[in-house]
Parts: sequence; structure tokens; C-alpha cells
Amino acid sequence: MLANPASGRLAAVLRSIQSGTSPLGAAAHSPNVIASGARGRRGMSLATNPAAQPLMLYTAGTPNGRKVSIMLEELKAMYGLDYDVHPINLGANEQKEPWFLALNPNGRIPALVDRNRKDFVVFESAAILLYLAQRYDTQRKFGFEPSEDEYSRMIQWMFFAHGGIGPMQGQLNHFARFAPVDIPYAKARYLDETKRLYGVLDIRLSDRDWLAGPDNGTYSIADMNALPWVFGHQFGGIETLDEWLNVKAWVERCSQRPAVRAGLQVP
Amino acid sequence: MSHGKHFTLYSHTGGPNPWKVVFLLKELGLDYEPVYLDFQKGEHKAPGYLKVNPNGRVPALIDHKNNDFTIWESGAILLYLVDKYDTEKKYTSTNETEKYQVIQWLFFQVSGQGPYFGQAAWFQVFHPEKIPSAIERYQNEVKRVLGVLESVLSKQEWLAAGKFTIADLAFVPWNNGISFLLGPDFNFEKEFPFTYKWHQKVLEVPGVKAGLAEKDRLAAAK
Repeated sequence: MLANPASGRLAAVLRSIQSGTSPLGAAAHSPNVIASGARGRRGMSLATNPAAQPLMLYTAGTPNGRKVSIMLEELKAMYGLDYDVHPINLGANEQKEPWFLALNPNGRIPALVDRNRKDFVVFESAAILLYLAQRYDTQRKFGFEPSEDEYSRMIQWMFFAHGGIGPMQGQLNHFARFAPVDIPYAKARYLDETKRLYGVLDIRLSDRDWLAGPDNGTYSIADMNALPWVFGHQFGGIETLDEWLNVKAWVERCSQRPAVRAGLQVP
Repeated sequence: MSHGKHFTLYSHTGGPNPWKVVFLLKELGLDYEPVYLDFQKGEHKAPGYLKVNPNGRVPALIDHKNNDFTIWESGAILLYLVDKYDTEKKYTSTNETEKYQVIQWLFFQVSGQGPYFGQAAWFQVFHPEKIPSAIERYQNEVKRVLGVLESVLSKQEWLAAGKFTIADLAFVPWNNGISFLLGPDFNFEKEFPFTYKWHQKVLEVPGVKAGLAEKDRLAAAK
């Protein structure tokens, strides 16, 4: 599913003209001008300059790709920020072609190209989330002030999911679905570890709604970072989340967000 | 904790991850009290430690000068230390955008190198049964990751920001164990010359050198 860049940008510019805070003129040619405080026709804050270029996401229909599309959908809903999608054909090993390796030498998706910053490239899904939060979430709706302890907690849970759940559930998926040789030990090893990791999430979510944030927690990129993996639990053979009721409730809570539902469909 | 040091670091004498934190603590001149958990005795899964880190793994760091703030996941600890205590930003980029390249490589290390080199170690060394296809899968991935590093380090001296950062530091412990993973016949220098050269350079960074010396002393004392 490709975002339609032209109509998105045009609509955003029209909104700013109608609100009387049009950045047209000299400012429109400078992608670094932020039209902060501008209110579009639907009352959304156009904190991002509507003349800004859409971000380019190289991705595929996998959990790591979807973490980023969820965040981009959230940024689109909140700020009118647009993005383009270039689906990479993993079956044809497109991610190992020289042109893509020039963007990400690791040859994996996702990779983000920021056309507003001289085509600055970021790979590693969690790093992309942090980059997007810092550069585009100007009202800190999806994260915390970097100087706060809550920010460090958010980072901790992001590393937990990125270094733990992702690779371990990834190995589960490999041995359950893709390995040419059936190895019961390996399937059991990664199933046990994935379940153990879900258990850790369950403990965290036993007294709060979201992975990071004070008190009951605040929805943040820490949740976006973990959700697509847990959401895909059936693929590797974990039939239900009934063993981890707090995690189950959290998945349902995340899924109520339109941007999450939209992002999980991209591409 | 009455040791009077700035930090308590839950650690392990043999495992790779706590030592990344040791290297940075030494580079930043910060004092810490190491607590080595005995995995054979299950100390890392004991209720007392699970209160510190519900994931039951090391490292975990307690900052006694910040209300005993506790943080686990080595990558998160490195970023915490840099954010709070690396005032000159010597170990990360001072450029707000370029900083994300340091973070990018750090996430690649914790997800692409660590877990895969770890599985290679498991199937090659620790698992009682030798499963050829599993050993091959993870050894191939070790070589693939070294190849990725090689493709970058053949063109630039450091992974990010044009200087030594926590991104380079993070790869040390596992890269130091290549012969453990791929066997003594594997010639690291010949197969991945630029990566080898970079690794040798990082080994000379004072905090890294001191940290590895400390690790070796502990291993010898056992």
C-alpha cells in the first residue's frame, strides 16, 4: 500500500492557507522552518512545515518494518507529516542488492531516508523510532524529555524488545517455519525463551497500561517497538496470549489506536 | 549498599555484556562496585535480583548518585552513562542528527551481533548435542556480521561520528571471542582485515584495555 504523497502534501498546504498561517513565500522554500502553532482545518497542529518532504521508508510486511510504519502513521495523524513507502521484496533478496546495501550495509529492513535532512539514512528499527521521536515528535506525544529518568526507562524497554524479543522470537519463527531441517530442540529452545520474555513484559504491565512513563504509563515508542512482535505471536506457534493476561490487554489497548491498525497494514 | 562507590554493577566474570559497561565506566573515570552473579547457582534468577532486573540477566546498574536509579540492558546503560556523565560527548556525536548513527550501530550490535554470536556459542560450545545445521546457521551469521562491519570499515575508520564512540566499544567483547565461535583455524585478520585492524585499535583504548585485563584476572583466579 503506497501513501499518495502528492495529495497529502497538497492537502496540508491548503489547510495552512485556510488557517491563515500559510508558510508560502520565502519560508516555503526552506524545509527547516517549522510552522509551529498553526492549526489546520481539522484543528490539528501543523507543527511540521507542510512544505516538508515526505520521509521515505524502505520496508516489508514484517514486525520490524511495522514498528516504524505505526510511528509514521502516528506522526501523520498528529502532525500531518507525510511518508512514502518503498516495499522491498524479501523473497527476491532485494535487500541484498548493491543499491540497498548502499543505504544499509546490513542488508535488512527497515531503513528510513529523511529527505528533509539531505537524505540522512537511519537503519535498525528501534533507532529509527528514536530518530523520528526526536526530530518530528515536537510535542513529545510519543516519548519523554531526554534528560528525564523516564526517558532512560523507555530506552531500557526498547533495548529489551530489540535485543531480546525480536531476535529470539525471530529464531522461533525460523525453526518453526523456515528451517530446512526440523530440529525439535531448537524449536523448544526459542519457544521457551520467547515465552519467558513475554512473561517479563507481563510483569511490567501488571501495574501499568504502557511500558514506559510515570504512574500508569504513557503510550510511547517503547510500546510501538514491542507490539508488532507480540501481535504476531501465532506465526511461531504461540496460539494465544492467555498465559499473559496483562500483555493480552496491552495488545488490545494498542490495537484500539487507529494509527496502530493502519501501521500494521503497511505495506 | 554501603560501598560508597558511585555505582553498583551486576556483572558476570565470563559473559560479554557487562564488560561493555565496564569499558565506558573506566573511560569516564567513574567508580563502581561489581557484583558477580553465579549463573550456575541461579543467582541471576533469584527473587532478590529479579527485583532489580525482572529479565534476570546482566548487566544491571544502580546509580547511587541518582536516588538509586536502576537500569538494565547494556545498550540502555551505555546511553544513560553517555547522556548523564559524558559532558563533553566524547563517546557519542555532538551533532544532534549524527548521534542517531551511533544509536543505530548500537542497536545493530545488541540485536545483530550479540544474540546471533550468542546462539553460535551455545550450539558450538555449550549444547551437549552437536546439531550441524544449527551450528552452521549461526556460524554463517557470525561471518555475515563480520562482513557487514568489513564493508563499512574498509571505507571509514570508525562506525559513526568519525571517531571512537560507544558504537565501536559495544562490539568488543564478542569480537574478542571469534576463535571461540569459529574455531582456531579461522583467520580473522586474513578474512576480515579492516575489521581486524579496527578491533586491534579498540583493544588499545585505555578503558577497554583495563576492562579486559580485569576480566582476565578474574578468569585466572577461578
